[in-house]
Amino acid sequence: MNDAYAVDVEEVFKSFGSFKALNGVTLRVRKGEIYGLLGPNGAGKTTLIRLICGLVEAHGGTVTVLGRRMPDIAVLRHIGYMTQQAALYPALSVEENVRFFAAINGAEDGVREALGLVQLWERRGSVVSTLSGGMRQRCSLACALVHRPELLLLDEPTVGIDPQLRVQFWDYFRRMAADGTTLVVSSHVMDEADRCQRLGLIQYGRLLAEGSPADIRAQGGSQNLEEAFLALAGRRES
Amino acid sequence: MSGRRVRAITRRLLQGFRRDRRTVALLFVAPIVILGLLGYLMRGSSNLPNVGIASQDSGPLGALVASSLKSSSHIHAVDINASDGDAKLKDGSIVAYILFPADFTRQAQSGSVAPDVHLEGSQPGEDSPVLQALQESMISLASQVAGRSVNFQPRVHHLYGGRNYDTLDYFGAAFVGLVVFFLVFVITIVSFLNERSQGTLERLMASPLRRGEIVLGYMLGFTVLALIQSAEVLVFALAVLKIHNQGNVLLIFGMEALMAIAAVNLGIFLSMFARSEFQAVQFIPLVVVPQVLLSGIIFPVSIEPTALQWLSDILPLTYAVNGMRDIMVKGADLTSSGLQLDAAVVAGFCILLIVAGTATLRRRLA
Repeated sequence: MNDAYAVDVEEVFKSFGSFKALNGVTLRVRKGEIYGLLGPNGAGKTTLIRLICGLVEAHGGTVTVLGRRMPDIAVLRHIGYMTQQAALYPALSVEENVRFFAAINGAEDGVREALGLVQLWERRGSVVSTLSGGMRQRCSLACALVHRPELLLLDEPTVGIDPQLRVQFWDYFRRMAADGTTLVVSSHVMDEADRCQRLGLIQYGRLLAEGSPADIRAQGGSQNLEEAFLALAGRRES
Repeated sequence: MSGRRVRAITRRLLQGFRRDRRTVALLFVAPIVILGLLGYLMRGSSNLPNVGIASQDSGPLGALVASSLKSSSHIHAVDINASDGDAKLKDGSIVAYILFPADFTRQAQSGSVAPDVHLEGSQPGEDSPVLQALQESMISLASQVAGRSVNFQPRVHHLYGGRNYDTLDYFGAAFVGLVVFFLVFVITIVSFLNERSQGTLERLMASPLRRGEIVLGYMLGFTVLALIQSAEVLVFALAVLKIHNQGNVLLIFGMEALMAIAAVNLGIFLSMFARSEFQAVQFIPLVVVPQVLLSGIIFPVSIEPTALQWLSDILPLTYAVNGMRDIMVKGADLTSSGLQLDAAVVAGFCILLIVAGTATLRRRLA
């Protein structure tokens, strides 16, 4: 294990019944980078993220996070995980939600900063069930980063939010990466891919290609990332 | 009103059930199971209540009535010494004993008999077969005393309870616990499912929280609510409904608290086997109804069919109900071995469920 990697996924297999969700995936995420996990719905992105944070166990291969073989509960203190749906307690206020996730991670002092970052400090008293979808996503992000994790796993964080908020989110992500946080962001939106430093393209549970956006364009033989992705996917199928 | 639109709704509803096999099974299997259980419970038993007969009669008629009682189809009569009667009532080996005094034959010949009927009295429903059997045996007595009618006036004594106890006094003790158990169970199972369906459980599992911490935290949170509810139910039962209580109020509260903790953990454990609130609510008829039927709340366990008695003996509610009656009707305290056993079984059940709930938490998440 190289210390330069925050995540080291080695030849990982995972099936659900007869369905092979991950079929021999190998990828490495460097510390402090924004790594984009790209692929269509059902490609295996969420399964990979759940493997990285130890929610499911691989049937084959190894997952090493921050130097520890997963699943390992000791590493979870250093991981932040934002699920696809804004997983919050609807009857609690914004602040109560964030404070709860801070408490279970032993980081109560990070509440104000987290709410400030997602610009919800002014709305901290609002009950979550009364918030708009975008605000819930922001609150959910605050819950994931309140304990200042070294590795932040974001499962399609920008799904269902408006373009303005999406820009804001990427702004937060860049600031966190600049502070040394490693981010793994899954998405099926190609225009987000360019904002990542490196990308892993996933389809049918396999890694089709890995590299910087420029590398992927070169590998796919197109200046358009979406076309490059389709070309790489087609090459693998044929 | 459009018939087509109404039909669309009806069709949509039935289509949904087609894929939810568990609900369909519940819809068609549960009524048969519950009614079958009730039928077997009420008609399938050959177990009659044990009744002691102590005949001190110096004449022939006491023995005659005793032999008539032994052939009764309502009770299982056994000979005992009058001096052992109360001890046997207390240890539960008999539910009643009938004492025919030394001058019983003379009483009959003079036209009026007054046998002493000693009832244990803590369970409703055990008294009537005893009195019915005695009534019938008196008919055979009357035929032996030619030429005159015999006036029959049994003197009924209660070891527990008594004439000033009404139905609510007997059922109340059990229901105080049952109400808490049932409501806490429903609230816990639905809340824990919410945790799963709103995605927060996934987040908790990806945090440094240990499974045991989640289950314990939940248990404590709901226990706080359950204890407040228990106190409210207890005050209402004793102060407003004025249900008779012979025991220590703190002991009742302690037993209620144990039942509440058991219900919380049962809710957490069973939530692992439901995918929606809808499926969770389906556990109520499956889990709660058989326990209510078999725990001795309505029908005494001692006269259930033997196979159902085995089942009753492994259900925690049986011990909880028994414990509540021991405290409230019999005035038992912690020196009573019966109450110790009841409390220990309910506490053991809580621990078993905490372990089971913790063990299944991750499996169901994946």
